Amino acid sequence: MTEILRSNFHDDLDAMRLEVVRMCALVTEMIPRATDAFLNNDLAAAQRLIKDDDILDAVSINLDTMCTEMLALQQPLATDLREIVAAIRLNPEIERSGDLVVNIAKATRRMFGTEYEPHIRGLIVKMSQEAQRMFRLASEAYDRRDVALGAALDDIDDRLDEYANDLVEAVLNDHKAHERDPQTSVQMALIGRFYERVGDHAVNIGEWVRFIVEGWRPEDVGAARVAAQAEEE
Amino acid sequence: MSSTETGDAVIANPPNTRPSWVTEGNAVSESAVEPSVGSVFEVRDVSVYYDDFRAVTDVDLDINENEITAFIGPSGCGKSTMLRTFNRMNDLIEGARMTGQLLYHGIDLYDEEVDPVAVRRRIGMVFQKPNPFPKSIYDNIAFGPKIAGTAESMDDIVERSLRGAGLWDEVKDRLKDSALGLSGGQQQRLCIARATAVNPDVLLMDEPCSALDPIATGRIEELMLEMKENFTIVIVTHNMQQAARVSDRTAFFTAELDSTTDQRTGLLVEYDLTTTIFSNPTDHRTENYITGRFG
Repeated sequence: MTEILRSNFHDDLDAMRLEVVRMCALVTEMIPRATDAFLNNDLAAAQRLIKDDDILDAVSINLDTMCTEMLALQQPLATDLREIVAAIRLNPEIERSGDLVVNIAKATRRMFGTEYEPHIRGLIVKMSQEAQRMFRLASEAYDRRDVALGAALDDIDDRLDEYANDLVEAVLNDHKAHERDPQTSVQMALIGRFYERVGDHAVNIGEWVRFIVEGWRPEDVGAARVAAQAEEE
Repeated sequence: MSSTETGDAVIANPPNTRPSWVTEGNAVSESAVEPSVGSVFEVRDVSVYYDDFRAVTDVDLDINENEITAFIGPSGCGKSTMLRTFNRMNDLIEGARMTGQLLYHGIDLYDEEVDPVAVRRRIGMVFQKPNPFPKSIYDNIAFGPKIAGTAESMDDIVERSLRGAGLWDEVKDRLKDSALGLSGGQQQRLCIARATAVNPDVLLMDEPCSALDPIATGRIEELMLEMKENFTIVIVTHNMQQAARVSDRTAFFTAELDSTTDQRTGLLVEYDLTTTIFSNPTDHRTENYITGRFG
């Protein structure tokens, strides 16, 4: 049986992990709210969501402080060190995802009064559901240290990318058919881009799970190629 | 210590050639033992016993030239015992014996033709507690070279050794004062200077900073990093941060219960680059030890 000698430090690590999961949960919960506000032209709901992003920022700052203090005071090593480094890298990934969701909520204001074609509405709903699912899966992969699930997110993301392409096509067709204001069409295409970027951040979260467990980063492959090339020369 | 001076010392007794203390007709043939390039010590299947008690078992590792190698692990894991095999200090303990093979620049250190005193001249040691002789600072440094005999001027040796240990500026005006009047950190640096005065090529350090405050510890660590240009250093430390700060490679030892003898025996768990050991160790026992989940 393993005896834990640094229980205070390991409690702090547990608290840090909980903050990462909490940030993921906040984003996961914000995604459908932003979509509903956008599609329903609900300015009040959009306003509430923009305000709620402050909570995500507060947790982000708290997580950052926790990580910095543990690095300064505890001299973490091995998995503990990788956990903290990963949390420092995950923090902006999740925080930025929250900002992208806020962008969707803000588009409610910019696009206020726009009626969307059923096909476009359907695609936006699908993208929202897929982005939410990806963020939930990324959070689960992190929480369970599930490397396989973390790695699978890259392929799971293909569906969201397809929806994003479909949306651009639908927006272009809609633009031609209804002679929309170019600005409106651009904004609609951007909405798809926001969901797609949220999916990309979920993929990155999955990759950091592998770093925590195995110490491997996807960039290691490219870096090894550069090193091998330098050696040849 | 200037590099020129140390360079001369190395040329006077170049590594990877038969050292002067190995007599003619040594049983170890040159062709049978090809020294690995860059390895000062090659430890092969080494176990150390104190009478019937096996203190450390089946150790295999190479110590690389001009590197700092750290031995870490819990008390009783055999790391100090292992360190003492490198200059045959265990010979001085009654009942101690070693099995396996320990090569120093390709020569079997435990060959019966090898003189252990001459070994210790090439492989110096610094201990946990500073142990200057109750003599002047000057005489502490001059002690070894006087016995060994030297063509170099004694004043030059004293200055070179004290400079090398970063102590010259602090003591140059009181070389005739007693070494016991120095602070703990200065005494330890004096002991390092004394160990280097006879031009060894290896320095073994057994917890050299455990009796020192953080400032003195920092000085010794800086000194070690400077000295590795000229020496190969092996350090036993309980301070993992120290191992992480100074060493190039780290060996993690632990003690495990031998069910047949009901005794705890030390063993080498993992030996790798220090960055690997402290960021992504392979063995879960290393991981547990360095992250404080011991057991």
